[in-house]
Amino acid sequence: MKAPALSFSKAPVKFRMPTSANLVPIRLDIEIDGQRFKDAFTWNPSDPDSEVVLFAKRTVKDLKLPPAFVTQIASSIQTQLAEFRSYEGQDMYSGEKIVPIKLDLRVNHTLIKDQFLWDMNNFESDPEEFARTFCKDLGIEDPEVGPAIAFAIREQLYEIATQSVASARESRISKKGRRGTEHATSSKSSGSALDLVKLFGYRSSVVRKRKDWDVYEPIVDHLSNEEVDALEAREDRNIR
Amino acid sequence: MELTQRDPSSKPLRPDEPELDLYTIPSQSSWFLWDEIHDTERTELRDFFDGSSFTRTPKVYREYRDFIINKYREEPTRRLTFTDVRKSLVGDISLLHKVFKFLEKWGLINFSANLGNSSNVSSSSSSLVVVEDEEDKARVKVEGTIPNAVRVGASPNSPKPISAPPIVGDSSGNAVESGFKLPPLASYSDVFGDLVKQKGLVCGNCGGNCDSSHYKYTKGKFIICINCFKNQNYGENRSMDEFKQIGHVENSSNQGAMWTEAETLLLLESVMKHGDDWELVAQNFQNKSKLDCIAKLIELPFGELMLGSSHRYGNFGGLNGNKNGANQIQLSSSELHESLKIEGQSQEQINEKEQNGDAVDECPPSKKQRITSLSDAGGSLMKQVALISTMVGPEITAAAAEAAVTALCDENSLPRETFDVDEDHISNGICSPTTSFEQERVLQDEDSKLKERSTQSETQDTSLKSDDIPLAVRIRASIGTALGAAAARSKLLADQEDREIENLVAIIIETQMKKLHQKIKHFDDLELIMEKEYTEIEDLKDSLLAERIEVLQRAVNAGISRWRDHFAVKS
Repeated sequence: MKAPALSFSKAPVKFRMPTSANLVPIRLDIEIDGQRFKDAFTWNPSDPDSEVVLFAKRTVKDLKLPPAFVTQIASSIQTQLAEFRSYEGQDMYSGEKIVPIKLDLRVNHTLIKDQFLWDMNNFESDPEEFARTFCKDLGIEDPEVGPAIAFAIREQLYEIATQSVASARESRISKKGRRGTEHATSSKSSGSALDLVKLFGYRSSVVRKRKDWDVYEPIVDHLSNEEVDALEAREDRNIR
Repeated sequence: MELTQRDPSSKPLRPDEPELDLYTIPSQSSWFLWDEIHDTERTELRDFFDGSSFTRTPKVYREYRDFIINKYREEPTRRLTFTDVRKSLVGDISLLHKVFKFLEKWGLINFSANLGNSSNVSSSSSSLVVVEDEEDKARVKVEGTIPNAVRVGASPNSPKPISAPPIVGDSSGNAVESGFKLPPLASYSDVFGDLVKQKGLVCGNCGGNCDSSHYKYTKGKFIICINCFKNQNYGENRSMDEFKQIGHVENSSNQGAMWTEAETLLLLESVMKHGDDWELVAQNFQNKSKLDCIAKLIELPFGELMLGSSHRYGNFGGLNGNKNGANQIQLSSSELHESLKIEGQSQEQINEKEQNGDAVDECPPSKKQRITSLSDAGGSLMKQVALISTMVGPEITAAAAEAAVTALCDENSLPRETFDVDEDHISNGICSPTTSFEQERVLQDEDSKLKERSTQSETQDTSLKSDDIPLAVRIRASIGTALGAAAARSKLLADQEDREIENLVAIIIETQMKKLHQKIKHFDDLELIMEKEYTEIEDLKDSLLAERIEVLQRAVNAGISRWRDHFAVKS
C-alpha cells in the first residue's frame, strides 16, 4: 500500500483537545436525597481551581439546590479536570486520523441524530461553530441545542484523544519502533484511517455514494410533550 | 462593473445545443475556471495544497468544489446550506465547511439565491431608466464583499424566462432579512405610472411613449420623443432643424415637469445632502413631489452620478437601456481615447463640448456637481473632458474651443494653412445628418476625409445658435487635422508592424531552412555508412563464394562421386 511518508514522520504531539479552544467537557450527574442534578458543559482547564468552587456555589444558588450539592459538584468537576490534566503531559499519536463522530442526543424537545467525519489532527477545528451552522441550516430555534451538540462532539473527541494517548503509550512500551507505532495505531483508530487511503487515493472519489447519503444526513425530530416524557422515563429506567 | 454571465460554453458557438443555463457570479470571481485551480483558491485554502496529508490534495479539493457548485446549480434560486452538501462528501467536516464558506464568500454559490431574494421589478422596455437606488444601496450594504457587481439595472434572473415574478412587495421582507430598515422602494410603476399614462402619444421613431414633451416635425405629421431627438434618430431625411419642441402642458397634477434652473440646483444640492432619502429631498420643494424629483434627476445627463458612490463607477461603465446623451458621450470618448495619442487632444475636447452643448442646457452649472464628477472620472482624459463639457454652457464651450484653436495656431503655422485649405473644403461640404460619432474608426486616409466631412456636418448640426460660423469652420479644420494626423500615425504604426512581421517570418524561414539542411546532412552521412556496409557485405559474399568454390574443388580433387557432389552443391 502506498502511503506517503509525510504523514508518518511527524513527531508525536502533546495531548490536548483537538479543537481551537482547549476546553474540557465536564459532565455532572449527582443525586442527593432523591434530587438529581444533571449537567454538561465545557471548562477551560487553564482557569484557576478556585473558579471551580465558585462555579459550584453559584450553580447551587441559581438552581436553588440544597447546599450539599456544592461539594459534590466541585469535587466532580475537579476529578474530571485532574483526569484531563493527567493526560496532558503525555504524547498523543498524530497520524492521519479522520474519525466518525456520531450525534444521538435529545435536548428538550429536539431529537438529533447525525454522523460525520472529524479530523483529529485539525487543531483549529471548532465544534461550537459546527453547532452554530447546524442549527442555522436546520432552523433550530432552541438555544440549548447548539451547545449540546458542541458538547457531544467534544466529549467524543476527548474520548478518542485519550484513547490515542493510551495506544501511543502501549506501542512505545511494546518497543516496536516507529513503523510499529504507525501500524498499530492505524489499526486501532476507529477504523476509518484505513479507509482513508482507499477513499482519498487516486482512483476513488470523495463524493459519497448516494446510498450512504442517508447515513450521514442529520435527522432532527421535534417531539411532543408526551414523547419527551416517555423518553425521559425510559432513560431513567435504563440508568437505574 | 457588470455582472458576468458564465456558462460552460458560449451560445453562439453551439446553436444546436439546448438553451444553456446562465449562472451569474460576481465579477470579482471571474477568475474561476472549471478546469483549473486558481491562485486565489490556493492561497485561501492552503490546506489542500501544501502536501501535508494525503487526504487533502488538489484532486480532493476539486471534487469538493465541483460537487458543491454543481449541487447549487441544480437549483440556483434556493439557498444551498452546508448541511445539504456535507452528507455527500467524505472528509473532515471543518475542512468541508471551510471550502463551503470560501465558495459562498466569492459568490460561486448562493449568489443568485441572495440576489433573487432582494430583486425588484427590473426596468421596462421604455427608454427611461428605472434607478432602483435604495434597493441597490441596500444590497451594497448587505453584501459587503460584493459591492460593485450589483449595479447593473436588470436583476440576475432577467435573462432567464422563468425568472422570479416581480416582487414589489418584498421590500419589507427584505428589510427583515437584512436586519435593518430600508427606505420604501420606488418601483417603476410608482415613479412613472403617472407620466406614462399622461400622454397617448407614441414616438414615430422608436415607438416608445412620448412622456413629458416631444418634438414635432414642422413639415409634416411626425412626432418623436425627447430621447430620439437627443440621439438624432430623426428618421429619413429629416434634420434636426425641422423639429419643433412641444413642451408637455402641465396640469396641476404634474407640475413637476417644470424645473427652473434654481430648482434644479436646489435639487442637486439636496440630493447630495440627503442621498437617497427622497422624502427629505421632496420636502425642499413645495410643488414637486418625490416622484418628480426622481424623474428629474434621471433626466439629467449625469444625474445618476448624484445617487451615491456605487453608482458613479457602475454608471460610467454603461447603463443598460440608458439612451440619453450620457451613453453617447461615454462611447465616443472611449473611441477617441483609443485612437488618439497625440498632443492634439484639445481638439477632441472641443469636439466633445460641441456635441454635448445641446444636451447640457437642462443642467445648469452647479458647483457641487462639478466637484463630485471630476473626482469620479478618474482615469480617462476623455471622460473628464466629456464631463467638463456637459457641465458648462454652450457659450463657455465655444470660448474654450476658440482658445484652444488659437493656441494650436500659435504652435504651428501648418494648421493655419490647413485651415485656409479646409475652409474651401468645408464650404463645399454637404451637410446631412450623419450617423453618430461612434461608428468612426480612424485608419485610412480616405476614411479620415470622410470623417472630416461628417464631423463637420455634425458639428454644423449641433452648432451654436450664435454667430460663430467662422469659428465652427476653424473647429472643423482642426478636427480634420487631428484626424489626419491620427490616421498618419496609425499608418506608420501599421507599417512598422508589417516590417516586424516580415522580419519574424524571415527568421522563421531561415530556421526551417537550417533544420532542413541538417536533416539532409544527416541523411547523407547515413547513406555513406550504408554504402560502406554494402561494400563490406559484398566482400563477405565474395569470400563466401570463394570458400565454397574451394570446398568443391577439394571435393573434386578427392574424387567424391558425382551424386554426392550434387547433393553437396544443392545443400
